Amino acid sequence: MEGQGLIALAAAITIGLAALGGTAAQGKAASAALEGIARNPEAQGKIFTPMILGMALIESLVILGFVIAFMIQGKI
Amino acid sequence: MKLITLLLLSLTAQSTWASEGFTWLHGVAVSTGLAEHTVTFIFTALIFIVGGLVYRMQTKSVEGSVVPDNKVSYRNVIEFIGEFIYKLAKETMGEKEARLYFPLMIFYFGYIFLNNLIGLVPGFLPPTENFNTGLALGIWIFLYYNAMGVKVQGLVGHIKHFAGPMLAMAPLIFVLEIISHAMRPLTLGLRIRGNMMGDHTVLAIFSDLVPYIVPLPFYLLGIFVCFMQAFVFTLLSMIYISMAVETHDHEEHAH
Repeated sequence: MEGQGLIALAAAITIGLAALGGTAAQGKAASAALEGIARNPEAQGKIFTPMILGMALIESLVILGFVIAFMIQGKI
Repeated sequence: MKLITLLLLSLTAQSTWASEGFTWLHGVAVSTGLAEHTVTFIFTALIFIVGGLVYRMQTKSVEGSVVPDNKVSYRNVIEFIGEFIYKLAKETMGEKEARLYFPLMIFYFGYIFLNNLIGLVPGFLPPTENFNTGLALGIWIFLYYNAMGVKVQGLVGHIKHFAGPMLAMAPLIFVLEIISHAMRPLTLGLRIRGNMMGDHTVLAIFSDLVPYIVPLPFYLLGIFVCFMQAFVFTLLSMIYISMAVETHDHEEHAH
């Protein structure tokens, strides 16, 4: 059936775009944190926790995208 | 409403790996009529209790509780984990709060870590792979930090916390805050569920392709993911609690 293929495509595009945006943002966060650590290695412990926190908050939107993809996939 | 029901139904359905293949606790699950992840959850609870009792017995005497062992022992590993979480709590919540909320946080970290790790043992399904487990843990954190916020700041003070700094903007910010708070248990549960399912699926696929040697790096990655997810869950819980109980007004809020 044609509709099923479109639904599958929609699910794939949803999670694909969510992952694209999320990883771009997480990469930026990680690069900034690594730069900070490279400039001041002693600050590693203090940088690590906020970095993880920021990444988790970025990730939560990707996870919401994953939920939508899951819901769409359930309709096939 | 229909959407929410659909969402919950699709998320709480048993994963595909559960229905096929051998698991150790499958017989128990069938004979008691409980879901497989519930049985595994109870099983890890038993391990956790026994582990705690063993640790308690080793530190029973006054002298034994002060002097640490001078080699890598069971007790030293437990104390290393405890110290790690206590340091994290001190950094995120402050000295006084860390003492208060440390018991719940170390329970969360240890228990989630154990629940994640048991998925790496062949023949066990990690209970955190199921959305019900993550949601239950997340909702408890949600109730707990709201209760603590009311206890520390009073009901009015806790609700004022939702309204933002400006009175004119309060109706707008109130709605946003309510939504963001309601999302917290959901995202906590979904994060751990999604990551554990992804990790477990990767492991299952590679073990299916080549049963020996090749899955080893993925086991290492699995251990890292297990640790990271337990860590993130605990860290976020700490942040939520510390945001709810902080008495002075902070300008910056992380959402």
